[in-house]
Amino acid sequence: MLKYGYGGRILRIDLTERRFQIEELDSSWVKSVIGGRAANTKRLFEELNPDCNPLGPDNILIFGIGPLTGSLLPASAYYTVTAKSPLTGILGDSAAGGQFAAEMKLTGFDQIIITGKADNLLYLMITESGVEFVECPEYAGKTIIETTKAIRKKRKDYSIQVASIGPAGENLVLFASIVSSGNRVNGRTGMGAVMGSKNLKALAVRGSRSLEVADPLAFLSEVEKINKVILDHKEYQKRYQMGTTMLMQDLNNIGILPTKHFQEGICQYVDDISGQKLARTYKVKNKSCFNCNVHCSRYYIAEGCEAEGPEFETLCSFTSRIGNRDLPFALEMNAYLNQMGLDSISTAEVIGWIMECQEKGLVHPDDLDGFSITWGDRDKIREVVDKITFRRGIGDRLANGAKKLSESFSEEAKKLVMQVKGLDMICGDPRGIKAYGLTYAIASRGSDHLRAEPYFELTNRKKEAKKRFGTKKAADRLAEEGKAALVYYSEKIALLTDSLTMCKNIGLCMDILNFEKASVLLKTGTGIDYSAEYLEKILGDSINLDFKLNRRFGVTKEDDTLPERFQKEPLSEGPTKGSTVNIQKMVDEYYKIHKWEK
Amino acid sequence: MIRVDINKCTGCKKCESVCAFFHTGRINNRISRVKVTNLYEIGIDGPVMCIQCEERYCLCCPVDALSIGPLGQVIVSPTLCTLCDACEKACPIGAIEKFKDFVYVCDLCGGSPGVLKPVQKEPLHMRLEVKNFLPLLP
Repeated sequence: MLKYGYGGRILRIDLTERRFQIEELDSSWVKSVIGGRAANTKRLFEELNPDCNPLGPDNILIFGIGPLTGSLLPASAYYTVTAKSPLTGILGDSAAGGQFAAEMKLTGFDQIIITGKADNLLYLMITESGVEFVECPEYAGKTIIETTKAIRKKRKDYSIQVASIGPAGENLVLFASIVSSGNRVNGRTGMGAVMGSKNLKALAVRGSRSLEVADPLAFLSEVEKINKVILDHKEYQKRYQMGTTMLMQDLNNIGILPTKHFQEGICQYVDDISGQKLARTYKVKNKSCFNCNVHCSRYYIAEGCEAEGPEFETLCSFTSRIGNRDLPFALEMNAYLNQMGLDSISTAEVIGWIMECQEKGLVHPDDLDGFSITWGDRDKIREVVDKITFRRGIGDRLANGAKKLSESFSEEAKKLVMQVKGLDMICGDPRGIKAYGLTYAIASRGSDHLRAEPYFELTNRKKEAKKRFGTKKAADRLAEEGKAALVYYSEKIALLTDSLTMCKNIGLCMDILNFEKASVLLKTGTGIDYSAEYLEKILGDSINLDFKLNRRFGVTKEDDTLPERFQKEPLSEGPTKGSTVNIQKMVDEYYKIHKWEK
Repeated sequence: MIRVDINKCTGCKKCESVCAFFHTGRINNRISRVKVTNLYEIGIDGPVMCIQCEERYCLCCPVDALSIGPLGQVIVSPTLCTLCDACEKACPIGAIEKFKDFVYVCDLCGGSPGVLKPVQKEPLHMRLEVKNFLPLLP
C-alpha cells in the first residue's frame, strides 16, 4: 500500500469507449523502477504492441510522474510523456516542467495511460475521482494559451493546469509538441502528433489530495541542505540570470555553437543573440517551475510578441543554426512555436537542411514546389513554419521531418541531415564534447543529450576523473578515453532524475544527486528502503529495458552512430578546430561495459 | 500585513507549498492559506492571501465563527463554523476558501509568518517582501 510520496493509483483511459478505470499502483512493480520515465517505459514495454501504427488507436500515450514530484524537494516539477514515436518509429518520450506535474500529483495518479481514439475532438478533465470526457470541437485550431484560458473560464477555476496540443498536433505534424503551463514544452519525438491522432486536444488536471511524506521533518531537513547547496553553487547566479540561454556564449567560447546548420562552430554575431543580450534587453521578470528556488526561466516582451522562454535549444535553433542574427525574430518564433505546438529543434533541422542543401545545389527550388530559402531569411522562415503547422503545400512533406524529407534526394543530401535514429540533433556540436557525442549516438530515443548529460567532461576535474572513470582524460572534452565509462555512470543519474522526478539543470549539472542522496530522499519521502546499491542496479536494469524495447522496434547497433560530418569533417577555426569524433570506438567500448552483444 | 511585489513573482508556488506544509506537514494547494495563480495569457503570476482589510467583509459570518486577533489577523473557530460559504462569497479577493470540513485563511502564523522563511534566505530575489508589518487593532 503506497501511502507516502506516491499517489498510489494509476488511471487508465480508453478514448474509443470513453471509459476510465482507476487501479492501485502495484508497490512491487513500481519499486523496480521508482517512477517517472523508467515507470513509463516499463509500462510501454509490457503493454504496447511494438508493430502498431504510432498514429493509430493502439499506440499507448503515458503521462508519468515520480514519488517526489510536487514535493518540497526543489526542482522536482517534471512529468514525462511516453509513447511509440511517430517521427522515429522507436521509443519516444519527452519531459517538461512548469506546474502541470504538481497538480497531477494532487489527483493521486502516478501514471495516466491513454489508449484508443476518440470519435470527436475532446479534452479530458481529470480530478481525483476520475475523468470527464468533454467534447470541444470549438477548440480546434486554438493555441495552447487560448485552450488553457477557455477551459479555466468555462469551469470557473483558474487553478486548473492544462497540457494541450496546438494546430500542429491536430494536423499530425510528426514533430508536434505538447505544451503545458502556457509555454512549457514536451517537444521531442512528436508526442503532440500522438495526441492529435487520438483526437485528444488537451488534458486538464485539478486535484485535491494531499501529498504526504513519510517523515516530514527529516525530509524537510534534507531539502534545506539541498537548498543551501543550490544557493551557494557557483553557477546559481548565472542560471538565475540566464537559465540555459547562458550556453549561447558558453558554447561559442569553446567553438561549438552550431552555426549555419553545423558547418561552423563560432558565430560572428553571438553577442547579438546571446543569453546576456536577451536578459538585458527583453527579459521583464524571472519565471519558475513549481517549488524551485533557481527560477531560471524568463518572461520577455519584444516587438509585437511576449512569452516565457526561450530555452537554449530554441534560441540557438532559430538564430545561429539557421543563420539568423535578429534576436527579436527568434523571440517571435519561440512564441509562435509554443502556441502552435511545434518542436523547435526538429523544425530548425528541416529549415537548416534545406538552406544548406540549396546553397550547395543538392536541392533545387523545383524539388520543393518552387520554394527557396537562404540563411536567416525571416519572411521565408515565417512562411515555412506556417506551412508546416497546417501541412499546407510543401509543408505537407516538411511536416514529416528532415530525415523522411531527405529520402527522395541524393545520398549526399541525405547525409547532411543531422539526426540519429530519426531524431534531429540538438544544438551542441559533438566534435567539441565527445561524451555528449557518444550520448547522442546511443540514446534510446535518438539523438539526445538528456539521456546522460555527461556534464562532467566540461568541468576540468582531472583527479576526480582518474578516480571515477579510470583516466584523467574523462574530464577533457576533446578526448575520447574514459567517455564510455563516464556515459555509463551519467546515464544512470540522468535516469534517476527522470524517475524521481527532478530537473537535470539542478539535479545533475549542480551535482546534487547521487545514489546515496537519492536513497535518503526516497526513505524520508516514501518510507521505502531503496539502498544506493539497489538504486544503481534497478537503474541499470531500466536502461537494459530501453535497449530491449528498441530492439523490438527494429533498432540495431548500426543505428548507434553519428552523422558523417562529425566523424569526417573537422571544424576550421576556434578552440575545437581540427577535432572529429571516432564514434565507432566509443560505441564499442560502451557496449563492452554494458555487456551487450549487438 | 504581508505585502507582495507582483513584478517579482515568478509563480513558483513555494509560498503556497510552505504554508500548507508549515501548518499541516502536507503539500496541497487546497489547504494552503495563500494561493498562487498563473495567468499565462498575460504573463502575470501572483499569490492571493488575506490582507487584513479594513472592511472585514468576512465578518458577515452568521454564527460569529470568525473573529479578529491581536495582530489584526482573521481567526476561524472550527467548532462554531457551519461551512455555509458566506465568508468565501463575501471576500472580494478570494482570500478565504472552504475545503472539506475547514475554512482556510491566512492567520499570520501568530506573528512570524512561515511563508516568509524560504524567502528570507534568498536575498537576491525576494518574491514576498515584508514592506510593513503593522499590527492592526480590531
